[in-house]
Amino acid sequence: MRRILTIARNTFRENVRDKILYNLILFALVMIFSSIALGQLTLGNEEKVILDLGIAAISIFGMLIAIFIGIGLVYKELEKRTAFALLAKPVHRYELILGKYLGLLFTLLVNLSVMTAGLELALLYNGNASGWAYVRILPAVYMVFLSLAVTTALALLFSTFSTPALSALFTFFLWIAGHFGRDLLSFGELAKSAPVQWLCRAVYYALPNLGNFDIIDSRSVLQTVGYSRPIDPVAVAGSTAYCILYCGALVALAVFVFMRRDFK
Amino acid sequence: MPVVEIENLTKDFSVGFWRKRPVRALDGLNLEVHRGEIFGFLGPNGAGKSTTIKLLMHLLHPTSGDARILGEPVSKVSMHQKIGYLPENPYFYDYLTPAELLTYAGRLFGMRGAPLAKKVEGLLESVGLSHARNLQLRKFSKGMIQRIGIAQAIINDPEVVFLDEPMSGLDPLGRMEVRRIITSLKSSGVTVFFSSHILPDVEALCDRIAILNRGRLQEMGTLDQILKTRFEGHEAVLSGVTPEALDYIRKWCDEVWSMGDRLHVRIGARDNFGALIAFAFEHKLELVSVNPIRPSLEEYFQSAVGSRQPAVAAFGG
Amino acid sequence: MKRRSLKQHLFWFGAFLVCAALVKPLQDRIEARQEDPGEPDILFFSSPSIVKRMALSYDSLVADLYWMRTIQYYGRRDEADKRPVRYKNLARLLDITTTLDPGLLDAYRTGSSFLAEPDPIGAGQPEEALKLLDKGIREHPQEWRLRHDKGFIYYWHLKDYKAAGDIWKETSALPGAPMWLSPLAAMSLSKGGAIEVAIALWRHQYEESDRETVKENARNHLLSIEVARDIWSLDLLTEKYREETGAYPRSLEEAVRGRKGYRIVDPLGTPYMYNPATGAASLSPDSTVRYLHVPEIYRESLAIEPQ
Repeated sequence: MRRILTIARNTFRENVRDKILYNLILFALVMIFSSIALGQLTLGNEEKVILDLGIAAISIFGMLIAIFIGIGLVYKELEKRTAFALLAKPVHRYELILGKYLGLLFTLLVNLSVMTAGLELALLYNGNASGWAYVRILPAVYMVFLSLAVTTALALLFSTFSTPALSALFTFFLWIAGHFGRDLLSFGELAKSAPVQWLCRAVYYALPNLGNFDIIDSRSVLQTVGYSRPIDPVAVAGSTAYCILYCGALVALAVFVFMRRDFK
Repeated sequence: MPVVEIENLTKDFSVGFWRKRPVRALDGLNLEVHRGEIFGFLGPNGAGKSTTIKLLMHLLHPTSGDARILGEPVSKVSMHQKIGYLPENPYFYDYLTPAELLTYAGRLFGMRGAPLAKKVEGLLESVGLSHARNLQLRKFSKGMIQRIGIAQAIINDPEVVFLDEPMSGLDPLGRMEVRRIITSLKSSGVTVFFSSHILPDVEALCDRIAILNRGRLQEMGTLDQILKTRFEGHEAVLSGVTPEALDYIRKWCDEVWSMGDRLHVRIGARDNFGALIAFAFEHKLELVSVNPIRPSLEEYFQSAVGSRQPAVAAFGG
Repeated sequence: MKRRSLKQHLFWFGAFLVCAALVKPLQDRIEARQEDPGEPDILFFSSPSIVKRMALSYDSLVADLYWMRTIQYYGRRDEADKRPVRYKNLARLLDITTTLDPGLLDAYRTGSSFLAEPDPIGAGQPEEALKLLDKGIREHPQEWRLRHDKGFIYYWHLKDYKAAGDIWKETSALPGAPMWLSPLAAMSLSKGGAIEVAIALWRHQYEESDRETVKENARNHLLSIEVARDIWSLDLLTEKYREETGAYPRSLEEAVRGRKGYRIVDPLGTPYMYNPATGAASLSPDSTVRYLHVPEIYRESLAIEPQ
């Protein structure tokens, strides 16, 4: 366990010193602050726009960070052979995988915190939201974090056996597919043939259902009259459980693949 | 008990995308390394040296055969607590400093706190990198990387270290440094197993060597054992040789040449050599030196391996 | 492969299988709990031209997406009882869909059908339905079905029999128009408001639509007309009974004794309910007929006069 944490810490340190991280965070913050300007266009609905755009920005840039760093997580270790020296120490292969995964999760957590702080500031500048809205942003960002945990697990899995370019492609593609899973299901229901329906259902369950993490939006944060949606703790628990299960499956698979590999 | 035992180790790789053809990188290797010795592992590029070391480090899974280090199977992760490894052309994390790297390595061995910090300082000192302790690794020269690599390989005071091409890409000063480190390891009782194709270094350092070619073991033993089989005669240096004596001597010798007032002779056959010695004694000629001729490792290598691989690369890094 | 590493391999692969197997039941639990996925809030961009620009060159695909989402949300009529369906955005969703892909005939037809039907089956916005159909007709001037649908809306929802008849008349001249359009037009113009026209309309829709929901809707209308006939007839009968005997019949069996042509069981087999105090017959709550409102103006033509 200790070794996993040691590796996680080292991964975090490596990531934090990587410049690409800062560029992405910068872009995210720019987007968040420009939402203030965009909000002016909606005449009286600025908070909604700031929140919608802000959460979207955090989600998208978080996804980019997860992918960019995630795909290199294992691949870089192998290509640069740092993994060799690592595995020659009393380190199990699964410890390497788990350590890298946790390290990246922690990196994401820190990034999300920075971006969330920016969002809170933007909201503060706008000044229209109620006090509790600032607190309710946190569960919204938590959901983004859950979806990023899944994205990272995907990137991790691909990086155990594929090149960075392909890993990035697959992960990105699956991230998009994960948002349209329901539509795939509808498509399957519209199609008349049973095998197609069954296939669509099977694929639907296999895909990461990122819609599960869409349950807290600007309505839930703002909770103004006529524009509100309750935050349901049971639903949040359900989404958390889904994240844990799905990531568990992906990470277990990643370990399995990694264990069997020859490192040429 | 031998420190490393390799028994019939074989490794096939499947090459090709559709129709997988197996390529045999290592074929039935049998090898033992004894405690406290410096063992050199030689061979041209592609011979299977790195493959062997990676199999020992369990980075590759063997196709068949067995390997044990310190009596344990190589798959046993806990055994790694007692060994060290320096990979070929090593690379370490760009953004870490050497102190951070060593601390990381030490933590993975279970060391922590003040003892770890002290060890790190001591190691940096002994590999000559104290001055660079806070410099990020991406700014290191190749020689410095090699040295920090060795440092991370020995931070746990291992019983045996495995070094894959530790001298590659180093200038003569760098090589001297590494040589020094290796000999000091030996004097601390550490067994050293290293692969190289810089023959003078191997010649100078190793107690025993093994020569690998195309996945097969060609020779194994001490330098003497290997090179003695190719006995080529003796070389003697004499002084005070009169021209009359010279005529006599000539008929025994394959080669004669003088340098200053000294006469160098080379005699192939043993009998002739015996006759020369007897003659020198009788006529009170001064024998300055007598040496058995044996090929340098380089020459031996060239003939043993080079003949089967006409395109063998030049040695010496 | 040594035994120990085999155990490890099995462990991790097993862990993967276990997690993967648990995903489906968990997902199902999550979905079961979600009562309302929420009206598609994809109207973040509410102007069709903006959406068209954002769709880049994938207009057709995005149209399909919008259309699928629309149907997904509005089309689940079986659940319309369980969750309140809001139709606030339907007209705009359809507008966006048909702007992105004007060729989606289905969107005009089914969409207008949803728009025109009153709450809770549909949005209750027949004017919007007409606008949508007009848009479709502009794109497909030769397509008789769209015009037929337009006439339908005039007839059934707006009660404008003349307008309906006029439209159908000109539609019957189009290529491919069915033979029954002309007589339908004539009926509407002359006997507008006659129940036969309504029945004919619904029957044609039922027979010729290939969309399940539309067929279902037409069938329900036809069944409702039968139910209306039955009930209105029974009401007249019980009134007559009271006039003759001074009191309402105690049961429907008693009311129809000796008379022919009355039904005391609805078209799907559930007996009608009867209140002897008021003499009123009604559809049983256990009935499987989905009753859709039949306008009062048809009462006279539907109800059988008791002899």
